[in-house]
Amino acid sequence: MSKETQDRPNASAVPSSASAPPSGEKADAEAKAVADEKPAADEKPAADEKPAADEKPADGKPAAATPAQEKSAEEAKPAAAAKPAPSAGTKPAAAAAARPAPAKKAPPPPDPRVEAAKAVAEQIRDVIAASLGQEAVEEVGAAHHTPMVRVRRESWVETVDLLKRHDDWKLNYLELMAGTDYPNYIEVVVYIQSTALGHFVCLKTRTPRENAEIPSLVSVHPGVNWEEREIYDLLGVTFTGHPDLRRIMMWDGFEGHPLRKDYNVWAAKEDTDGTD
Amino acid sequence: MALTDQQQPIRTEEMLLNVGPQHPSTHGVFRLVVKISGETVLDAEPVIGYLHRGTEKLAEDLQYNQIIPYTDRLDYLASMLNNYALCHTVEEALGLEVPERAEYLRVIVMELQRIASHLLFIGTYLLDLGAMSPFLYVFQERERIVQLFNEICGARLTYNYVRVGGVKYDAPPGWLDKVRAFIPFMYERIQMYDDLITGNEIFLRRVRGIGVFDTETALAFGMSGINLRSTGFRWDLRKNRPYSIYDRFEFDVPVGEHGDCYDRYYLHLLEMKQSLRIVEQALDGIPDGPTLGKVPKIIRVPAGEYYSGIEGARGELGFYIVSDGKDKPYRLKIRKPSFVNLQLLPDLLRGRNMADLIAILGAVDIVLGEVDA
Repeated sequence: MSKETQDRPNASAVPSSASAPPSGEKADAEAKAVADEKPAADEKPAADEKPAADEKPADGKPAAATPAQEKSAEEAKPAAAAKPAPSAGTKPAAAAAARPAPAKKAPPPPDPRVEAAKAVAEQIRDVIAASLGQEAVEEVGAAHHTPMVRVRRESWVETVDLLKRHDDWKLNYLELMAGTDYPNYIEVVVYIQSTALGHFVCLKTRTPRENAEIPSLVSVHPGVNWEEREIYDLLGVTFTGHPDLRRIMMWDGFEGHPLRKDYNVWAAKEDTDGTD
Repeated sequence: MALTDQQQPIRTEEMLLNVGPQHPSTHGVFRLVVKISGETVLDAEPVIGYLHRGTEKLAEDLQYNQIIPYTDRLDYLASMLNNYALCHTVEEALGLEVPERAEYLRVIVMELQRIASHLLFIGTYLLDLGAMSPFLYVFQERERIVQLFNEICGARLTYNYVRVGGVKYDAPPGWLDKVRAFIPFMYERIQMYDDLITGNEIFLRRVRGIGVFDTETALAFGMSGINLRSTGFRWDLRKNRPYSIYDRFEFDVPVGEHGDCYDRYYLHLLEMKQSLRIVEQALDGIPDGPTLGKVPKIIRVPAGEYYSGIEGARGELGFYIVSDGKDKPYRLKIRKPSFVNLQLLPDLLRGRNMADLIAILGAVDIVLGEVDA
């Protein structure tokens, strides 16, 4: 276990492995295991800033946000690099004891790409709120580097349709639809691309696990027909208004929804025993 | 209901015909329930799932590196691309930097893989249309690629070669020269196929103007890859959302004009040439160095959601990972191009002649391992 935690920071430090940060990061990791995505974020901005900008050419925000973030990241780095010269990789415990405060302070520099994504998500929130009301949007954030907006399921179809037709967004090319079973709800997510404007956005909605039901998107994006059937089949979400909601992967007589976390393979086997 | 065959005023009867699940033209276990009247297709309903192995469910109990062999078995004609697609998403999530040499080796094997896959498409497509020998021809070139893969990773079909953070093995001595020798040979063969097939009157009659759809339909149905590009819409993730080191290479994205089966066939030929161009440039630029970056023994993806897609041989191949910070994905969803592309099939078949069914189905270019996952 301890070995793994030691391995990890090294891996995230690959980009600039020659510099000193490892020990600082090690302290970091020991202080808080969750924080270990931050060191990676530190080293990103310079190298990978371009793709993020490419993805959203239409709005000025990301470009504006980046330099500021970059500077703060750069300020943080020399501070970390200056200190832990002598016992670089050998004694992480000492390093951790020596400067627990800076290690705690280091995490804040957020990834500029995440910040840019959040800014875009907020713009989308405003667009949705303007025509469907404030209460339509439940959460705004970023799914990794992609803007993410979660809407309530009553507004699901209207939202997707609105963003498809909206002149500033034109999200016309739905690339991915996926469902995930969480302990208290099932979440359906779509990743939609605007082929004209270059936006790439993640939209979500949730349904309770019992009587899971979400309005179907087939009327807006006919291409989700089979994806919705698959989610119905494997996760047990009923898509209301779907033209042809049947099982697609499993056979018609199959019981249960295999991708649900509480699906028990062995229980199902005993029930159908040999009938397959 | 008494119906009249469109071509001839003969009274016909509606009937259901099962194509598959075991049928040579379905490229695997795919069933198509066709409602026909005489020779005319009234309706068609694809039935899939015969090859469903629950890859997404299995992946929830596997560590990230253990999932790679399962991806080999999705689209088994383009395993390298599947390997890469998964590793790419995990690398994005971890923010891993991949050594230069590894990136170049990946691009070389991926583009060779694309060529191998497209070759097989041409072979099987012509086989479907009744031309036996092309199928045997394409296996000669494909064999050379498969041999090259065998030398670099020890497998001919399920490679498990691309790993998170790099590739498993460096190229053996002389391997890169063999790849270089393959390029002029392949250019020559592509020219030969162009001469033999493209001008063939019988072939043209069977594919020109058949299975036509426009860009709008293709986008609405989420189609990708050659199916989308055949409508004249330039959309290639290698250009539109560059990943790996594709932004360093010069290559074109050929597009079709009419969105018919002929365009889809011909784009396969053109894309092979572009792949060769990329391989050529990659061979020139490949540096020395390590082939696997510094990767932890046990990969833990930070909690969150990640999606990234690559330009697979059949369209956008993507992996969506939901992680709760453990060493195994909480949920893994595969964006399967064949699965999405296949949806339009009933619309394309409706009202067409029975003989066109095979031509249309073949041109969609599906691999059932991927459709069913």
